Amino acid sequence: MGTASTSRRLPAQAGEVVDRSRPLAFRWDGRSYVGLEGDTIVSALLAGGVDVFSRSFKYSRPRGVLTASFVDPGCTVQVDDEPNVRGSHRRLAAGMDVRPQNVWPSLRFDVKAANGLVGRFLTAGFYYKTFIKPQRLWPAYQQVLSRFASGGVTSRQNVHGYYDKRYVHVDVVVAGGGPAGLAAAVAAADSGCSVLLVEEEYELGGHLRYSGEESLSTLSDLRAQVAARPSIEVMTDAVVTGRYDDNWVAVMQRNVGGAIERLVKVRASVLVAAPGLIERPYVFAGNDLPGVMLSTAVRRLVNLYAVKPGERAVVLAANAEGDVAAADLTRAGVDVVRVLDGRAGETIRRATGRGRLQAVELEDGTVLPADLLVTATGWTAPTSLVNMAGDRPVWNPTAARFVPSSTGLPPTVLATGGLVGDGSAEELIAHGRAVGALAGDRAQGRPGDSVPALACEPHPAMFRASTHGFVDFSEDVSSKDVVAAAKEGYDSSELVKRFTTATMGPSQGKLETINTIAVLSETTGRAIEDLGTTVWRPPYAPISLGALAGRVFEPTRVSPMQGWHEEHGAVPLLAGQWIRPDHYGDAAQEARNVRENVGIIDVTPLGKLELSGPDVPKLLNLVYVNKWSKLAVGSVRYGVMCADDGVVMDDGVTGRLEENRYLMSTTSSGAATVWEWLENWLQTAHTDWRVHVTPVTTAYASINVAGPKSRELMQRVVVGVDLSTEAFGYMKVRQGRIAGVDDCVMWRIGFTGELSYELHVPASYGLHVWEALLEAGDDLGIRPFGVEAQRILRLEKGHLIVAQDTDGLTRAHSAGLGGMVKLDKSDFAGKPELAWHERFGLATAPRLVALQPVDPTAVPPEASQIITANGEILGRVTSSRMSPTLGHGVCLAQVDPSIAAPGTVLTIRLPGGGDISATVQKDLAFVDPEGVRLRA
Amino acid sequence: MPDTGVRQGGRPAVPVARGPITVPGARSVVDGWEVSTRRSTAALRLSDASPLAKVSVRADADGALADAFGVRFRGSRHQDGVLVVGSGPGEWLLVGRAGTAQQIAETVRGQGQSGFVTTVDVTHGRALMRLTGRDAAPALSKVCAVDLSDAAAPEGAAFRTSVAKVATDVIRDDAGGGTGEVSYLLHCERSSGQYLFECLLDAGKEFGVEPEGWAG
Amino acid sequence: MIRIPCPHCDARNSTEFRHVGEASARPDPSTATPERWRAYLYERANPAGWTSETWFHTMGCRRYITVERHTVTNEIRSARPAGGTRAEPAAALSARGDAGSPDAGGQA
Repeated sequence: MGTASTSRRLPAQAGEVVDRSRPLAFRWDGRSYVGLEGDTIVSALLAGGVDVFSRSFKYSRPRGVLTASFVDPGCTVQVDDEPNVRGSHRRLAAGMDVRPQNVWPSLRFDVKAANGLVGRFLTAGFYYKTFIKPQRLWPAYQQVLSRFASGGVTSRQNVHGYYDKRYVHVDVVVAGGGPAGLAAAVAAADSGCSVLLVEEEYELGGHLRYSGEESLSTLSDLRAQVAARPSIEVMTDAVVTGRYDDNWVAVMQRNVGGAIERLVKVRASVLVAAPGLIERPYVFAGNDLPGVMLSTAVRRLVNLYAVKPGERAVVLAANAEGDVAAADLTRAGVDVVRVLDGRAGETIRRATGRGRLQAVELEDGTVLPADLLVTATGWTAPTSLVNMAGDRPVWNPTAARFVPSSTGLPPTVLATGGLVGDGSAEELIAHGRAVGALAGDRAQGRPGDSVPALACEPHPAMFRASTHGFVDFSEDVSSKDVVAAAKEGYDSSELVKRFTTATMGPSQGKLETINTIAVLSETTGRAIEDLGTTVWRPPYAPISLGALAGRVFEPTRVSPMQGWHEEHGAVPLLAGQWIRPDHYGDAAQEARNVRENVGIIDVTPLGKLELSGPDVPKLLNLVYVNKWSKLAVGSVRYGVMCADDGVVMDDGVTGRLEENRYLMSTTSSGAATVWEWLENWLQTAHTDWRVHVTPVTTAYASINVAGPKSRELMQRVVVGVDLSTEAFGYMKVRQGRIAGVDDCVMWRIGFTGELSYELHVPASYGLHVWEALLEAGDDLGIRPFGVEAQRILRLEKGHLIVAQDTDGLTRAHSAGLGGMVKLDKSDFAGKPELAWHERFGLATAPRLVALQPVDPTAVPPEASQIITANGEILGRVTSSRMSPTLGHGVCLAQVDPSIAAPGTVLTIRLPGGGDISATVQKDLAFVDPEGVRLRA
Repeated sequence: MPDTGVRQGGRPAVPVARGPITVPGARSVVDGWEVSTRRSTAALRLSDASPLAKVSVRADADGALADAFGVRFRGSRHQDGVLVVGSGPGEWLLVGRAGTAQQIAETVRGQGQSGFVTTVDVTHGRALMRLTGRDAAPALSKVCAVDLSDAAAPEGAAFRTSVAKVATDVIRDDAGGGTGEVSYLLHCERSSGQYLFECLLDAGKEFGVEPEGWAG
Repeated sequence: MIRIPCPHCDARNSTEFRHVGEASARPDPSTATPERWRAYLYERANPAGWTSETWFHTMGCRRYITVERHTVTNEIRSARPAGGTRAEPAAALSARGDAGSPDAGGQA
């Protein structure tokens, strides 16, 4: 509908950023428009004759341009799939489909505008008092309220886009690319520092971009200086959004390197905050009508985008920038019917109009027809970043704004430019240069010279006219709401913020804080300086969750045989970071096959540590509860580790391969913990012991060969080892060649309860050996088995799993391991607690028992509670499976000693309700309790 | 009859080693390892170096062996075809040509024993890869928080840190890269090797990274 | 995010480390009373001020270091190898729970 050359587009302006030779077609609210390259979405629409861009949050009032900057509250729009786009900041791109948000059914006619009619009932905090009772209507309330929730639309089909992260180390970060920031960056670079210069807009310059010809020439000079210094990295369309300990600085960068957003994590020696000043709206009735805007909005629209903001204007100027804005309007052909001087006490009473501004009413009753009302009533210093660094802002009554206090900042955080004071471009540049040089000194460890302060110019304290208007445009909070809140007792800054939600919107106080506090001050009679501001917290600018998530990568660990498992139908089990085969289709059949023939399981995640040195037995005696001094070369022993509180920490077998070379195994989830545990003892308590610990968990591919036919299988693939039971008995370790691979370690242990060999093969040959075993054992009925089958087999044997059958309070005796604790050793981890426990604690300590459900088909879920007739809990089921070997359920449980006697019949309460009975067994093992099979 | 690895059905008589990293491309057996032989001429290349021999050595941080190596923790140097890396206080990793681990370990143990020395062959236990190209440092800076500037990590620098959430050893080894460009060797425990390789490929996407196999 | 000046590596982000806890010397197990032993296991001074604590550099040199840190300002005034003083939290609960999680780093 609009074209590039409507009457709203002005002739060429010096310093304009639009390129008239490149028109861009796009859609808005279902219609076609044409803008120019360099336009923002909103400037293109204004040029095309559009004034209204959204409906407000609570009252659905039509909203237009207020600030023409990132924080413009009424200009948040949906662009294609992306919600909450800041239309006054985002550059137009060809083909964009832009739609209004929070409108129902349309922008032009929004049913929710009816809220405006009942506005007097929708005062601040109404939702604390309404929609509460009756509780059964909450689902209905939710339906209604969700219609009123603002915000854009995300498609459920959206894929997580490409988001990036980057780490940067730099001497000086300068936040803000206006005159002071530019000068600071140049000065820091000249002192020999690397500099990162971050600017929110698409080009450097700040207000110099739209302040007239002289400013443009100064700007061009500064830009050239920056470009000439390769040690300055410039990021535009980027914001410093948080400052953390030790100048850990977060920067949000958009649309770079193929990513939608990039979160840059910067470690800087010095941070220079130079964000400038943000203009403040004036509070009066009608201050949210489309057509009411700030002086900086006008200056940007006219000078950067060559857009005429209206035809007939009234200007309220309380400062020089307001005067210049009026001059810009006249130059642009706008009929400026009246300029009111705030410095002389002049002001307006209200703005009126249906759906947009139509007239301005003055205090003396004069009504001036106008379609544009421009206010220039003051500034807010965005002190966020320095607040995050420890500064508490102070109220400067002369300048009528908060400024950073001169104390409270660490020496590595500095501030310059409009944030700290006022001045001409030259004065700001001089201050920036001095601060930049100081930043350079501080970054290089010198204290540097202090910088003369930049003075604040006096400014009238103009906050509110004689009528009430909006203090927070995003949250639809009016000054009347603030007054009401104060009268209800919410009379401090923090309370008023939370009760009214003022400053809690997308701009997070940048436009709202001072006006809110000024109204509060007026109501309570307390001075602004005493009220203070609320606390500014990161992020300063919005970050999408996608950027925080970054690349969605979770470390995963796989064994060398994982590819084979996947190809052969293994169902994966995620165990910590490991992906393991849970089963290959039928775990019960896999378990049966191990008892009858032979099976192999990939147990590579089993923790393995190589221990070498003459003092290894001392370490073993220290960390295990049993004795290790007499472990012979070629022998393996089972060990249990307890921590200093006597609680079972880990278990595993350790074998002595050579005189001073041992291989320790741990549980797979405990591998890292045990490694650190050993290192702690060696590094802090026994630095004189000669022991070296090398992790070899993944240096070996580990395979457990289990079943009555495993010796026969091993004889077909092993060279150099006598496998007869006399030469290679239970709990012995040997080294040799398997399937042509040298340096393999094999030991006989019995987790599954069958004759079995655990092979540790140099990992790169793991797949070769795995396939060799399968081929060699084909006629023996070999089948792979997974973690689930192994769990069934070990449970049939009553073998405990640490952290499954024990918990954070289980001492050795409560895991049936009391017999392993050798209290006559001089010292070991947990000894005093275990000694006291054995003397005093056994009568009341829980016991590990095996349970058989009376009903053979019952398999109570793990963690089912064991209860008395009165419902008192006396234990729980820790492991539970159906046994394919025996045809009934088998369980392990931790129970109170009063019910632990063999033969006791217990009651198990099932999680879904209902009880079953189970009998305590004599032994923990259901199958082959004498252990004949595994000693074969 | 004990098996030497010969099978029915045409499998190799000599066992073939396989590294933890799968790189696309034609497969071949080089130095006893089944590898991809893919080469790339891209400006940034990430290549699989897992077949290289790797021997972990532990000894007194300031003893005779430390002097013989000539580097301590955080430094590295090339010596007679072996890259000696100071990988920790009192820890070294020796990286040499494929198949030479035993030889390297014997050479170390043969160096006049004073003090307690341990050598462990970790050839199979570490995934090793090399990132080479003008943009190697910016690419690595996507996933590594340590300062990679020439001042902080010059040629020969060796350190261990978190790369893409995996404990990784990083060695600045332009000399080993062979092209005069910036080159880093990175290694982590074996089972995370494929994950680390893929993360580095993603980190290098902006700079046009391409994977390479093993040339020998 | 604070930086820990590891004496072996150099200043690194604290996420590379596992915060073990306030230093607590292990008493002689053969003479300690239960009260003394349990104070070692469970009691900590936890001051708002300077404290001596152990960090383990999981993603770096894998050494235990003793750090003096001000708990209110996070200023660190010294960091040295933790030789001689056992400072691992002795309770199995924290020892397992911490290092077993994926984010704790450190892979054996």
